Amino acid sequence: MGLLAASVYGNWWQRSMPPTDISSNGQLIDGLWNYTTALCIFYFILVCLGLFGFSYLYSRKRHKTPYYTYGNKKQHIIVTAIIGAAVFLTIDLNITRIASNDLLQQFWKYPDPKTEKVLRVEVMAQQWMWSFRYAGADGKFATADDVVTNNDLRVPVNTKVLFHLTSKDVIHSFWVPNVRVKVDTIPGRVTRVWWDANVPGVYDIVCAEMCGANHYRMKAQLTVYTEKDFQKWVGSSQEIANITNDPDDVNQAWGWKWEI
Amino acid sequence: MSGGFNEIHPEPTTFISKYIISFDHKVIAKQFLWMGIAFLGLGGLMAILIRWTLAYQGTPFPILGALLFPDTGGVVPPDTYAMLFTMHGTIMIFYAITPILIGAFGNFCIPLMIGARDMAFPMLNMLSFWFAFLSGAVLLTSFFLPLGAASGGWTSYPTLSTTLGSPGAGQTLWCVAIFLFGVSSTMGAVNYVTTVITLRAPGMGYFDMPLTVWGLWLTAILNAIFVPVLGAGVILLTLDRVFGTTFFLAGASATSGSGDPVLFQHVFWIFGHPEVYILILPAWGIVSDLLSFFSRKPAFGAKATALAMTSVTVLSTVVYGHHMFTTQMSPLLTQAFMTMTMTISIPSAIFFANWLGTIWKGSIRFDSPMLFSLGVVFVFGLGGLTGLHLGTVTTDLYLHDTYFVVGHFHYTMAASVLLGGFAGIYFWFPKMFGRMMNEFWGKVHFWGSMLGLNGIFFGMLMVGYGGMHRRTYNPFVYEYLQKLIPINTFITLSALFMGAFQIVFVINFLYSLIKGPKASNNPWEVGTLEWTIPSPPVHHNYDEIPIVRCGPHELGNPNLKTGRDFQYQTEELVEG
Repeated sequence: MGLLAASVYGNWWQRSMPPTDISSNGQLIDGLWNYTTALCIFYFILVCLGLFGFSYLYSRKRHKTPYYTYGNKKQHIIVTAIIGAAVFLTIDLNITRIASNDLLQQFWKYPDPKTEKVLRVEVMAQQWMWSFRYAGADGKFATADDVVTNNDLRVPVNTKVLFHLTSKDVIHSFWVPNVRVKVDTIPGRVTRVWWDANVPGVYDIVCAEMCGANHYRMKAQLTVYTEKDFQKWVGSSQEIANITNDPDDVNQAWGWKWEI
Repeated sequence: MSGGFNEIHPEPTTFISKYIISFDHKVIAKQFLWMGIAFLGLGGLMAILIRWTLAYQGTPFPILGALLFPDTGGVVPPDTYAMLFTMHGTIMIFYAITPILIGAFGNFCIPLMIGARDMAFPMLNMLSFWFAFLSGAVLLTSFFLPLGAASGGWTSYPTLSTTLGSPGAGQTLWCVAIFLFGVSSTMGAVNYVTTVITLRAPGMGYFDMPLTVWGLWLTAILNAIFVPVLGAGVILLTLDRVFGTTFFLAGASATSGSGDPVLFQHVFWIFGHPEVYILILPAWGIVSDLLSFFSRKPAFGAKATALAMTSVTVLSTVVYGHHMFTTQMSPLLTQAFMTMTMTISIPSAIFFANWLGTIWKGSIRFDSPMLFSLGVVFVFGLGGLTGLHLGTVTTDLYLHDTYFVVGHFHYTMAASVLLGGFAGIYFWFPKMFGRMMNEFWGKVHFWGSMLGLNGIFFGMLMVGYGGMHRRTYNPFVYEYLQKLIPINTFITLSALFMGAFQIVFVINFLYSLIKGPKASNNPWEVGTLEWTIPSPPVHHNYDEIPIVRCGPHELGNPNLKTGRDFQYQTEELVEG
C-alpha cells in the first residue's frame, strides 16, 4: 500500500514538473524557484514542528497546568526577533537580490539589433489568434515585403529573438512555457520581451490571460529551426510573401514601424 | 474609555422591525450570516461545476447538468464556463466571505466584545445589510439575462469587460452590484471604526481589546479607505460600457479611445490587494484569540501580534503592483513593489511565532473551534509561503496566471478564511443562538474539510508549476498539459469530498439551531465581555455597561483562588 502510494506520488512529482527549459536564461527562474521552495519547505517544517509538536506535548491530558506568561520576557522577545530576522535575511534580502540581478543582467537587458545578431518579430494578438511579422528582405517593418504568419512562429536556434507585442482587441498574454517568461499584450501599448531557444523542436505558445470564451483555444506553434533550416524557410516564405502580399488587405496591414 | 454615547434604542415589537428592518446588531449579524452561508453554497456549487469540467471534459454533469445546460446535454459550454469562474470568484469574495467574516462577526462581536449596547450608528448598520442584499439580488438577476452574467473574470479587466469583449448587460449589472456592495461595505466600515473608537467600555484601552476586535477594526479601516476606490473604478467602467466614454479603451486596431486598459488594473489592485487582507484580518484576529482561549494561557506577545497585524495592514496598501508584473510597469516600480511585498514576511513571521508561542506549554483543549484555528495556522503557512514565489518578479514571470496563483490565493483567501470563519461559527454559535453545536460532527466536519481542501489546493499548486494556466475551459488541447490530467481528476475528487463534508456542517448547524442542548452563559470558560451576559444576550446586551479591569486573555493565572482558571475582563487582575 505504501509502495503504491510512493509510486503514485513519485509519478505525480514528475508530472508536475514544468516543461523542458529550452532557453539560455530559464534556468535562472527555475533555480530561484528551487531556492524559494527549499526555504518554504524549511520554514513550513518549523511551523509544523511547532504546530503538531506542541499539540502533542501540551494537550490537556499530558500537560495539566499551563505556563502563565504573556510572552513578553526578554528571552521570548529575543527568540521572536531572531525568527523575524532570519526570515528577513534568508527570504527578503536574498530573493530580492537574486531576482533583481537576474532582471538587470538578463530579462531586462534587451538585445540591441544595432550591435548584435537579433531576430526581430512584431506580434499582434487578437481574439483568438496570434500573428507574427518578420521585417522581410528590406529589414524594415510595415513595408510590402514583410513576412506575416498566423499562429506559426519560427525562429533559428541559439539566436536572440526580440518581440514587440500589442493587441488588437482585449488583453492577451504571450507565453511559451518552455522559455518560462511571459508578457501581456495590451491594446494601445507596445510591450517587449526577448528570449533565445537552444533546442530545435516544436513547442506550444499559450495565451495566459483570460481573453474570452475561447481563451483556451488561443494556441500557436513555435518551431525552433537550425540556422540552415531557418534560412531555407525564410527564403521560401519571402517568395510566397512577395507574391501574395496584398497592400489593400486590412487584415495584413497591422504592422508598425520598429522603434527603439 | 469614552462610553458617553450609548443610547438604547427601543425594543422592537413587530415581526418586521424585529427580524427584517432590524436595528439590532445581533439580528443584523444573523442576517449577514444567513446570506453568507447561502451564497457560500451557491459559490461552492459553481466550484464543483468548474472542477467537473476540468476533470471530466465533455462528460455531462450528473443530475443537475441536464437541468442547467439542456442545449449541450448537460455538458458545461465554454461561455458558461467563463461565467461560472467569474461568478464563483465574485460570489465567494463579496457575497460569502465578506458577509460571514465581516458582516456577521463584525456586527456580532464588536459591540459585545467591547461592552457596547449596539453599534454607533444602528440605522447605518441596517442599511448596510439591505444594500448588500440588494446588491446580491442584482447580481443573481444577471444570470437570467439573454447573454448571461458577467464572464470576464472576477477582476473584470478591460477591454474584455467593456462592450468590446462582453456585449451583454451582465457585465453592467456586475458593475452595479459591486458598486452597491461597495456602498454597503463602506457604511459598515465607517460604523465599525466609529464603534471601536467611541464605544469601548470604560477601562478598555486599545490593547485590552480582544485580538478579534483588532482584526475586525483594521479590516474596517482598510474597507473604508479602499472600497470607494473600487467603487470609482466600476463607475468608470460603467460609463465606458453605457455612455461611450473611453477611460479604459485605448486606440488599437479594433478599438478607439484615448484611455488605457492598464489604468483599470491599477485602480482595481489598489483596492484588490488590501481586499485580500480585508478578508484575512478578521480570521487572524479570531485565530489569535481562540488559540489563547483553548490553550488556557494568555496570548503570547498579544501586543506584538496586534502591532504586526497593523503593520501588515499598512504594508498591504503599498504592494498592489505585484499583481501586474507582466504588464511591464517601469522597472523602478516593479522592483519597488517586489521589495515592499517581501517585507510583509517579517510581521507575518512575528505573528506566526506568537501563535506557536501561544500553544507552547499550554493545556490545549481540542474542541472544534480550536481544531479549526490550528487548521488556519497550517493552511495559512502554506498559503503565505507560496506567496514568495509570486512576489518575486522573475519566478512570477513563469507562474503568473497559472494554477500556482490559484492554489496560492485559495490557500490564503479560501482555506484560511473559511477555516477561520468556521472556527468563529462554532465558537460564537452558543452566544448567537443560545444552543450548542454538536462537537462530534464538528470534528468530522473539520477533518473532512481539512483533507479535502489540502487535496484541492495543493493539487492546484502542482498543476500550476507544471504549467497549466488559469481560466481555461479545456487545458488539455495543449499537449504539454496532458500529463496533468490525473492530478486534475484528483483535485476534482477532493473537491467533491470536501463539498460532501459541508453538508455535515449545514445539517449540524440547522439541527443545533432547533434541537441543540441549551448553552450556558459561558460554555468555553473564557473571560471576554460577551461571556458575562446570558446566551443569547438580551436586546440591549448589557443592563449596566461593564467596567474593564484586565486584558482579554487572563487564563491559567496560578494566583487565582476563585476555582476558575480564567478571569473575566470585569475583574481586577489577581497578582501574586
